[in-house]
Amino acid sequence: MAVAIQAAGPTVYSPSKHLSTGAQGILSSVDSNKNSKWCGLHENRPVVWMAKFPGEGKVIREYSITSGNDKPSRDPKDWVLEGSKDGAKWTLLDQKTNQPLFDNRLQSRSYKLNNKSSYPFFRFTFLKTHNATHFQFSEICLEGFSFTGVKLGSPPTLKEIREAGALNSIYLKPEAQLPIIQNPGANLKLFKDNIKPLLTEACIGCHGPRKQKGKFRIDTLNPDLIHGGDKDWWLEVMDVLSNGEMPPPDEETQLADSGRTEIIDWLSREIQYASQIARSEKGRSSFRRLTRYEYNYALQDLLGLPWSLARNLPPETDSEDGFKNSSELLQMSTMQFQTYRKIGLKALKRATVSGERPKPVTYIISMKEEMEKAAADKKAKFFNTNDESYARNRNQLHLVNPKTNKGTRFKGGKLTPRPDAVVGQTLPDSPVVVILPKSNELKWNLDRFLPDEGVMRVSIRAGRSSMNPDEYASLRLGMSAHTSNNANFSNIISEKDIPVKGSADKPQLIHFDIHLADIQRNPFRKLTTTFPRRDEFLHIKNISNAHGKEPLQVLINHIVISAPFHDQWPPKTHTDIFFESRNKGDEEKYGREILVRFMERAWRRPVTTKDVDRFIGLFAKYRPELQTFEEAMQEVLATVLAHPEFLYLTQHAAGKAKVEPARISNHELASRLSVFLWSSIPDGELQKLAKQETLSEPKVLEAQVKRMLSDPRSQRFTRHFVGQWLGLDDLDSQTHITDESLKKAMKEEPVAFFEEVLKHNRSIMEFIHSDYAMVNERLANHYGIRNIYGYQFRKTPIEIKQNRGGLLTGAAVLAMNSDGKDSHPLKRGVWMLERILNDPPPPPPPNVPEVDLADPEIQKMTLKERISAHRNDPACHSCHARIDPWGIAFENYDASGSYRTRIKNKPVDATSELFNKEPLAGMDGLKRHLLEERQDQFARAMVHKMSAYALGRPLSFADLAEIEDLTAGFRKKGDRLADLIHMLTRSSIFNGK
Amino acid sequence: MDFKSNSLGRRAFLRGTGIALALPWLETFAADNPANETPKRFLSVYHPDGVGVPVKADPAWKDWSWFPHGGEKDFELTKVLDVLEPLRSDITIYSGLSHPAVRRVHGHSNADQYLTGADTKGHGPYRNSISLDQVYAESIGEFTRHSSLVMSTNGGIGGPRGAQTQSFSREGRAIPAMNSPKQIFDMLFVAGDKNASARLARSKSALDLLIEDTRSLGRKISKHDQDTLQQYLDSVRDTEVKLTKAQQWLNAPFPQVDSSSLHLEAGPKEAKQYFQTMYDLIYLAFLSDSTRVATFQLGRENGGGPHDLLSKAVDLGAAHGLTHAVKKKDGWENLGTYNRYQAEEFGRFVSKLKNTTEPIGEGNMLDNTFAMHGSASSSFHLSRNYPIISAGGKNLGFANGRYLNFVGLREDGSLPGAGVISDAGWNSKVVEEEPPLAKLFVSILQRLGVETDSFAGYTGTLNRV
Repeated sequence: MAVAIQAAGPTVYSPSKHLSTGAQGILSSVDSNKNSKWCGLHENRPVVWMAKFPGEGKVIREYSITSGNDKPSRDPKDWVLEGSKDGAKWTLLDQKTNQPLFDNRLQSRSYKLNNKSSYPFFRFTFLKTHNATHFQFSEICLEGFSFTGVKLGSPPTLKEIREAGALNSIYLKPEAQLPIIQNPGANLKLFKDNIKPLLTEACIGCHGPRKQKGKFRIDTLNPDLIHGGDKDWWLEVMDVLSNGEMPPPDEETQLADSGRTEIIDWLSREIQYASQIARSEKGRSSFRRLTRYEYNYALQDLLGLPWSLARNLPPETDSEDGFKNSSELLQMSTMQFQTYRKIGLKALKRATVSGERPKPVTYIISMKEEMEKAAADKKAKFFNTNDESYARNRNQLHLVNPKTNKGTRFKGGKLTPRPDAVVGQTLPDSPVVVILPKSNELKWNLDRFLPDEGVMRVSIRAGRSSMNPDEYASLRLGMSAHTSNNANFSNIISEKDIPVKGSADKPQLIHFDIHLADIQRNPFRKLTTTFPRRDEFLHIKNISNAHGKEPLQVLINHIVISAPFHDQWPPKTHTDIFFESRNKGDEEKYGREILVRFMERAWRRPVTTKDVDRFIGLFAKYRPELQTFEEAMQEVLATVLAHPEFLYLTQHAAGKAKVEPARISNHELASRLSVFLWSSIPDGELQKLAKQETLSEPKVLEAQVKRMLSDPRSQRFTRHFVGQWLGLDDLDSQTHITDESLKKAMKEEPVAFFEEVLKHNRSIMEFIHSDYAMVNERLANHYGIRNIYGYQFRKTPIEIKQNRGGLLTGAAVLAMNSDGKDSHPLKRGVWMLERILNDPPPPPPPNVPEVDLADPEIQKMTLKERISAHRNDPACHSCHARIDPWGIAFENYDASGSYRTRIKNKPVDATSELFNKEPLAGMDGLKRHLLEERQDQFARAMVHKMSAYALGRPLSFADLAEIEDLTAGFRKKGDRLADLIHMLTRSSIFNGK
Repeated sequence: MDFKSNSLGRRAFLRGTGIALALPWLETFAADNPANETPKRFLSVYHPDGVGVPVKADPAWKDWSWFPHGGEKDFELTKVLDVLEPLRSDITIYSGLSHPAVRRVHGHSNADQYLTGADTKGHGPYRNSISLDQVYAESIGEFTRHSSLVMSTNGGIGGPRGAQTQSFSREGRAIPAMNSPKQIFDMLFVAGDKNASARLARSKSALDLLIEDTRSLGRKISKHDQDTLQQYLDSVRDTEVKLTKAQQWLNAPFPQVDSSSLHLEAGPKEAKQYFQTMYDLIYLAFLSDSTRVATFQLGRENGGGPHDLLSKAVDLGAAHGLTHAVKKKDGWENLGTYNRYQAEEFGRFVSKLKNTTEPIGEGNMLDNTFAMHGSASSSFHLSRNYPIISAGGKNLGFANGRYLNFVGLREDGSLPGAGVISDAGWNSKVVEEEPPLAKLFVSILQRLGVETDSFAGYTGTLNRV
C-alpha cells in the first residue's frame, strides 16, 4: 500500500480517517513523546499503521512498541509487520500472535527481526487487542529510522483503499468464521422496551380497553409482523402515523416527532423483514418457462434462423431483483400459448421449403451502366476530379471513373427487375464507382416488384476511399414509401450497420439479408391504379465518423438486390430437419427419424419411443389432409415446439431413494448451463457430454464453461445479465437523451465493461472503480475523453480528473436515474441500494405526501434542500435517511451523465452523511466508502445477483448459507469474475434440484 | 313489433326494419352462451378532414360551426348537427379531447391513431398499437361468430399515416377493412371458410396431444412445479374451449337474411345508397349478434378514392376539397352541409337501434350499444379538439343529452383552434391543454365490462362522462 508522498521527510498514515488526525491521531505514535498516544475505536477491524521514509530505506532488524498510559486491555495482542520497496508489494517481516499484556504502562518492548533487505515502506496491521473496544500505543520505533519532521501522509488512492478495504473483509480473515445465517426474527425486545410505551401513551386512550374508536384496538395487536396475524393492521398504523393523521390534532395526548419517527422506523424495518420472509417462503424452484428472449434464441439456434421471431410475445415482468427470468413471475396465458403456436409454425415454414426453387426478382445496379446512362443524358454536367472545382462536388453523392477522373452528380434512381439475371452470378468490378460520403444515402426506387415473403439479399461491392484507422464508415439499409401527401414511412430495415473494411482497390462484398415479411411494406404495391403511389424505395446510407480534410467515403461498385434469396436449394435450414436418409421413401419411418432428431434437440433430452409415437399418430391424422409430406411434418413439428418440454425448463422430481441434496441430471445441467450462458438450448457438444454422463465431472464442466464463455453466444449472457442486473431498460423510457447513437452507446457501455472484466478474469471491485473506461467514439465525446475513434468499445486509461471509471459513473445509470431534466438523487440512491448493494429499501408507505411543487417556498429551494426538507418530515425520515445520502453523492453528474461542478450557478454540493453518520464526499467519497467498508457487501450482492440469474429464481433464506460459502471462496480467489462463474457452475446450489 | 315475450321463439326470429332475419343458431348456443345476458356493443365511425370551426366573429359561426353553442345541458345545435335534434336525449357531443402524442402532427397523418392513441409521428419510423375496438373484441369476441367487423369505404389497410382502417391488432398491425357490401353480407350471412373446419380439427388433435403429455409430465415433477405447469395446462384447455366454439360457429347455420331490400351492389359512386347499406350491414350484424364490435372509416385522409365521392350525396364537390375552401364563398356552409349529411346518416342508424327492442335483454338496442362518430382533426389539418359524437349506452351507464366541453372557450368566445384555415396552423404550439382522449376510452372499456384502468399509456377515466 503506497502512501502518496509529497513531503521530503518521513510520513505516517492510517487508512481509517478517524484514526489519522486529531489529538490522539497517528502522529502521536511517532512523536517521541510517551505522554501522547495513538488511540481509537478499532470497531473489530484490523488497525493499519503505515510509514514511508525518503530514499531507498534501510535494513530493519529491530522495532519496539510502547504501551499506553492506561487500560492494559487496549494493548495489542496479534499483529503483523510488513516491509515494501514500492508500497505495492509487501514482504512479511514479523508476525506476533497471543502476545501477553505489557507488564507496565508506558513500557517499551523490542522485537528482533531476521531481515536482510532494506525497505522504505513499512506497515503494521494490528489484528487483536486484549478484548477492549479501543486500541492504543504510546510509541512505535523502527530501529535506525528517524521520525524527525514526520508528517501525516496524504489520503491513499482508490487502488490503495481497495487493498486496505480487503483487510476489513470477514471472508478474508485467516480464521474466517462466517456469520451464522438465520431468519431475521421480529424485534420484539425493541417493541417492548421502546415502542409499546410510546403507543400506549399516545393511542390507548381511544384504541384500548376502554374505547375502541373505529373498532380498532392497538394494545391487542401482535407485534410480531412476521408470524403474528396483524400485519395489515400495522400497515394501517404506519399509514396514519406517517401521514400525521393520528393522534388527531385536537386530542390531548400528542406524539412527539422523535417518538413518531421511532415508531415508523421500527415498523418500516419489521415490514421489510416480514415481506422478505414472505417472499423467500414462497419456495425455490427453477422450473420455469423460457423468457421471451430465451425462447427467441432457442428457436433461432434450433432452426438456424437469424431473425427475431418472438416479437409478438408479451414482455416479461421484472422480479424484485430486476430479473426477467425469475421462475415465480413467468406466467402463461391463453393468448400467449396461442402466440407460441403461431410463432412455431411460422418459424418452421421459414426454415423449410417445398416444391421447386422459386425464381427471384433481381435488380442489378452497375455503376458503369449508370455512368453510361448519365453520359447519354445531354443535360448531365460532368467534372474532373483533378480540377479545383471538385472540392464543391467531393462531399456530394457522385459517380466517378477513377481511370478517367471524370465524374458527375448522382442520386440513385428507378430500377426494374432483370429477368435475365442468373442466380448467384458475380458481376465484374466496374471501373466506375459511386461515391457515398458520410451521412449521405443512395435512394433506389424498386417500384412494386419485390415479393411479399422471403429473404431479400442486398449485396453491395464497396470499399473505403482511405484506410485511416481513426475513421470508419458503415452501411445501413432503409425502406420507405410515400403513398400520398402526409402518408409516408421511412424505416431502418437492417438490424446492424455493417462496417466497410475493404479498400478502394480491393473492395469487399457486403450482404444484408432482410426478411420481407418482417418489415413495413407499401400496402398499395398491388393496386392496379397508380394512386395512392405503390412504389417502394430502398435506402443505402453511410453511417460514419469521417473527418478531416478529405474525409473517408464509401465507394460502391455495384449493387445486386435479389428476393427471395436462397444460397442453396433446398436451404440448409431445410436439410437440417429433412435430412438425407435411405428411409426417405417410407414416410412413417422417415418421419420418425426426423422427429427423434428434432425432439431431442428441442427438448434437450433423449426421447422414448412412446414420446415419438404420439407425434407419429398426429402425423398420420394430418398427412391425408395436406398436400405434401413436408407440410404435414411442419404442423407436427410445430406441436413439438408448443410442448412444455420445449417451452419450459423442466426438472424431474428427485426420486425418493436418492440421497439429499439431489443433483440435477446431466441433461438438466446442460440445459441450465446453456440457458445461463447462452440464453438458449444446449448445442451438440453439450448434449453429447450429457448423454455420456460426463458433463458434471469437474474438469469437463470447467472446460465446457470456458468454451461457452468464449463462444459468441455468451454475449447474450453479458447483455441480458448486465441489462437486468443494472436495470438498463429504464434508459429506453427516457426521452431526454435524444441522440439515438449516444443512447445506444450509453446502454452498451456497462455491457462492454462487464465483458472486459469477464474476459480477463479481473476483480469485480473494478465495477466500483477502475483506472480505465470502456468507451467508443460517441461515448468518449460525451465524457470528454479525446482521440477515441470508431464505434467499437475499447479499454482506455483515464485520469482521476476525468471523473469516470467503474459502473457507477456510467452515463446510462446516471441518465436513467434522472427525471429527464435534472439528476434524481432518490432514484440514484434506490438504484445503489437495490442493484449494487442488494439492500433494497422498503417500498414507500401508501399515501406519502407528494412534494407540492406549486408551493412558492418549495420552488425557491434547490433540489437538495427540497430533499432534505422532505427527509426531515418525520413520516419520510426513516426511509429517506437510508436512501438519499447515496444519491446525493452522485450530484456532480447531471441528467445526461455529464460531470458538472455547478448547478444553476451554485457550486455542486454532493456531500452527505449516511444513516450511520459516515460522511460521503461526492462520487470519490462514495467509491472510497464502498471500497473501504463495503467490499464484502458488494461481493455478496454480486454473488447473489449472479446466482439468482443463473438459477432463474429468487433466492430464499435456505440459499443464503450457500451464497455465503460461495462469496467466501470468491473473495479468497481475488473477486475475479470468470472465477465466480466457474465456482457457481460447480456449486451445489447450481447442481441441486 | 312485439318482442316482449321471453320465449326462444321470439329470439329466433326477428324482424328488423323491413328485413327478415331468422336466427336459427340461437338454439345451439342458448345453453352455453355466458353472454346469454344482453350483448354490449361498440361502434366507431371515423370521418376524415375534420369539421368547420369558424371563430366567433365570423358570420358563419352561428350556423356553421360544427360544435354546438351553449352549456352542458342548454346547448344549441347549429345547422350542422340540427339533424340530431330528435335524438338530443340519446347523444353526447364532446369537444376538447385529443391524443397528446400527435397534437403537432399534420391532420392528414392521423386517422391511424384515432382509436389507438399511439405516437405515430409525422414522418420516419412508424409504429402503431392496439385500437379501442380490438381491446374490446379481445374480451368478448369469442361469444359471436365474428369477433369484430372492420369496414371502410376505401377498404384494405391503406398505408402508414394514411390508414384505410380504424382497427389495429395487439401488435399494432392494421386489420384490413372490408368495403364491398356484397362481400360483407356474404361473410355475415352466407359463406364460411371451407378450409377452416379441417384446420380447426388438426389443431384440436394437437391440443389433445399436448394436454395428455402435460398431464403425464405433471406426474414426474414436484408438487410446487405442478402448480406452474397447471397454468400451461389451463392455457391449452382454454384454447381448446375456444376452438370448440369456433368449430360450433362453423357448423352453426347462418342467420337467414332476406337481402332483397339491401343495395349490396352499391359502390361509393352511389353515395347515398352505399352509405346507408353499410350502416344497414352494421345494424344487421348487431341485430343477429354476429358481432358486437364494428368500426367504419369513411374514406381516407387527404382525399383520393371513394370517400371523396360521398359528398355527391349532397350535390357537393370532392369532400376533401371542401375543407380547403372554407374561406371561399359559401365555404363554411358547404363543409357544414357535408358534415350535416354524415351526422344525418349516423342519426338514421342510431334511430334504427333505438326503435328495435333488444332481442335478448332489456330496453332497446341503442341502450346496449355505445356508438361513436368522430375525426382526428377539428379545424383545417389541426390534430386537436376532435369533433366527437356518441350515442346510446344508457344501460352501460352513459348519461346523454349533454355537450361536454373539456377545453373551454377563448376570450373571444371561440373554441381553441377555431379559424385555422391554412397549413400555418397545424404545427402551432399547444396552448390549451386538452385531456387525453384515451381517458374516454378507458371509461368506455370499463362500461363495456373490460377490466382495465389504462389505455395507450394513460391511466384513469374521464371525469364528467
